[in-house]
Amino acid sequence: MLSRVADNLYWMARFMERAENLARLLQASNELLLDGETMGSRSLNDYWDPVLIATAMEDQFAQLYPQGTVADVGFFMTLHEGNPDAITMCLRQARENARTVRDQISDEMWTELNDLYLFITAPHTLKLFQMSPQSVYDRIISGSLLFHGITDATLARTEGWQFIQLGKYLERADKTSRFLDIRVHSAQTGNALDSFQWTCILRSASAFGTYRAEFGGEPVAEGVIDLLMFSIDFPRSVRYCIRRLDGHLHAISGTPAGTYGNTAERVSGRLLAQLNFGCSSEVLARGLQDYTDDVQTILNDIGQHIFETYVLLPQDQLSVTFIPSADTQQRRWVELQQQQQQQQQQQQQQ
Amino acid sequence: MLLDHYDTEGLFDEMFADNGAVRPHYQMMRERLDTLSKEELDQKIRNLETLFLKQGITFTVYGDQQGTERVFPFDPIPRIIPADEWQVIEDGLVQRITALNLFLYDVYHEQKILKDKIIPEEVVLSAAHYRPEFKDVDVPRDIYIHICGTDLIRDRDGSYLVLEDNGRCPSGVSYVLENRMAMKRVFPQLFGSAGVRSVDSYASDLLGTLQFIAPHAKPDPVCVLLTPGHYNSAYFEHSFLARQMGIEIVEGRDLIVVGAHVYMRTTRGLQQVDVIYRRLDDDFLDPKVFRPDSMLGVPGLVSAVQAGNVALANAIGTGVADDKVTYAYVEKMIKYYLDQDPILKQVPTFLAWDEKDRSYILDHLPELVVKAANESGGYGMLIGPKASKEEVEKFRGLILANPRNYIAQPVVYFSRHPTLTDGTVEGRHVDLRPFVLSGERTHILPGGLTRVALKKGSIVVNSSQGGGSKDTWVLHQS
Repeated sequence: MLSRVADNLYWMARFMERAENLARLLQASNELLLDGETMGSRSLNDYWDPVLIATAMEDQFAQLYPQGTVADVGFFMTLHEGNPDAITMCLRQARENARTVRDQISDEMWTELNDLYLFITAPHTLKLFQMSPQSVYDRIISGSLLFHGITDATLARTEGWQFIQLGKYLERADKTSRFLDIRVHSAQTGNALDSFQWTCILRSASAFGTYRAEFGGEPVAEGVIDLLMFSIDFPRSVRYCIRRLDGHLHAISGTPAGTYGNTAERVSGRLLAQLNFGCSSEVLARGLQDYTDDVQTILNDIGQHIFETYVLLPQDQLSVTFIPSADTQQRRWVELQQQQQQQQQQQQQQ
Repeated sequence: MLLDHYDTEGLFDEMFADNGAVRPHYQMMRERLDTLSKEELDQKIRNLETLFLKQGITFTVYGDQQGTERVFPFDPIPRIIPADEWQVIEDGLVQRITALNLFLYDVYHEQKILKDKIIPEEVVLSAAHYRPEFKDVDVPRDIYIHICGTDLIRDRDGSYLVLEDNGRCPSGVSYVLENRMAMKRVFPQLFGSAGVRSVDSYASDLLGTLQFIAPHAKPDPVCVLLTPGHYNSAYFEHSFLARQMGIEIVEGRDLIVVGAHVYMRTTRGLQQVDVIYRRLDDDFLDPKVFRPDSMLGVPGLVSAVQAGNVALANAIGTGVADDKVTYAYVEKMIKYYLDQDPILKQVPTFLAWDEKDRSYILDHLPELVVKAANESGGYGMLIGPKASKEEVEKFRGLILANPRNYIAQPVVYFSRHPTLTDGTVEGRHVDLRPFVLSGERTHILPGGLTRVALKKGSIVVNSSQGGGSKDTWVLHQS
């Protein structure tokens, strides 16, 4: 398939998954904060600061809200168009990618994604958000789940499907590891906020029930890490995601499992081995933050190597790359492209 | 009932004869409409618009940085053409496209028609879209225009006239197919009984046409559709057609020329491309030959075409045939190449580059429609009777500064068609764009895009300027 199409499918899935995970995090946080109304603003800051840091939005927030209060965080992360990482912007990017490859995805996939985008950008959604943010998050989460389900039920298992899976699992692994990280920056272990935050992290990964069933009692660090980092069968654990990612990489290249044919496979295989044989005590001994930082760096590497292997061919004579980045030169390039595409009036003014 | 107070106002109407009687081929539609209330019809429209929006059947509005997407306004009362009328259109279009392709072959080879002084040499050689780079270059099967969208209007007596030939990158065919799908939802019962010809074969005919022009008659050629990209207003159509044909939709950056062959960049390396259905203007195709700042084209593409290793549909340089000055000579072309009388008439045209015509134009500006020779989409146009003094004077200046670039025509009377408007059904002006495919044989899609000027009295049917569309039903019977 076309390299650009593979890239678009991969990013479509990544942005969709990113939107869903942000919605999950915000929904779980909101729910729990309703119980914690007695918390002072100090504790609220303690809660939201790490969320902003874990999602790498703290600078953007400071810029848009110099006197920002915690009350602004929800809108900022969900609907603010000035925040390039807001859920609404993720959905826009997912849709833009899908629109470019309409001919490669099923009609039902497009309709669901487009519908979700039309929902998030509709004026009444803003009103709904002010009244009941939870219903907005519900719609986003179910929209994303529906999208992935439709993809499973309607798309042939071709290379394009494999690239969609790569995007989905890579993004999910990244988000799960980042959410685990939220704990790290906040208050020391032992206070009420602590168990509160573990609960929130589990809820955002739909893992609370599984945790109770497997470990019982109030959540503690060891159990949460064992479940979200190392579980072999929980579908949002980092290990599970990497196992699937590794499988899809091998399905694309045809290289036998356990071996590698390109750098992306080598790096993902090594990470998988680390996760297969890791445990929570090892993580805590090393430091959770250090460990998750390391995992995220490796995930970035895998993404970069996928791009270099399948999108940026060695024969490439073009001076441009297609990595979405904030780099101004890239943005200028996109603008010029856009202008010329629109100039093409041809004889097509129906 | 909806049509009770319908007034043709003495203009040619598709549905009603001058005496107010419904034309026989519209009888069934009339009866169906009489059973509907305005509210029911409105409801059907709203459902359809939601459907279009959900499916992303939209076009992008130009000059809007946000890239606003809009649903192409759709009118649910179909335009109906009986078989005998259609036969005339079909014969006329086949005749016309045959002559145009012979003309293009001639212009890019021996130029007999110029030497015989049927068409003044300077008209052709000064056309903005004449491409000297392709003089004496052979194109596969000697076909230049493979896809043509010819705009037809109806004169006051109802005869069909050619308004313009769109032989570069005509668009709109996806709306023909989507409108049909929509109409099947609005009037499901009517289709069976009315005997409407199907438009389903377009994509496979188009693919057949593309395969037919593969270089060296290569079997199973790799065909692709080259799009400017998803910011282009017609991107929906590009992706729709690619999907229907089962071919890749590519952007310029997906293609690369190595050793005068064209390849696409895939996850498995480079794959050779044989035929390109390009929806990109000549100017943007190859920055090495045409616009050097084009970011949408493929460097080296022209050299690959010249070497005969890749075929383009349409060929480069077809713009010389649909130039509005060339248009004035098409009837002579038909006579010259085919020794036939034109089946479809066209609108009388005055050429500003001709001194006599020019002084006539300048003396009669307020009565005439003036058009720039190379613009499309209803841009660069003066409608004399509706223009202000300033606009008329502006065009006087433009014509004097660049006479080659302007033509003028008397105001033509587009026929009208009952159209759903706020609160009622009124007559609105329509034109018709049938689609012609020239491959192993010439296919005329039995249907076409009926564009309707939604503004009362307006004759500008372009979507960018308030136009909508209707489904076009060609009947099996007369």
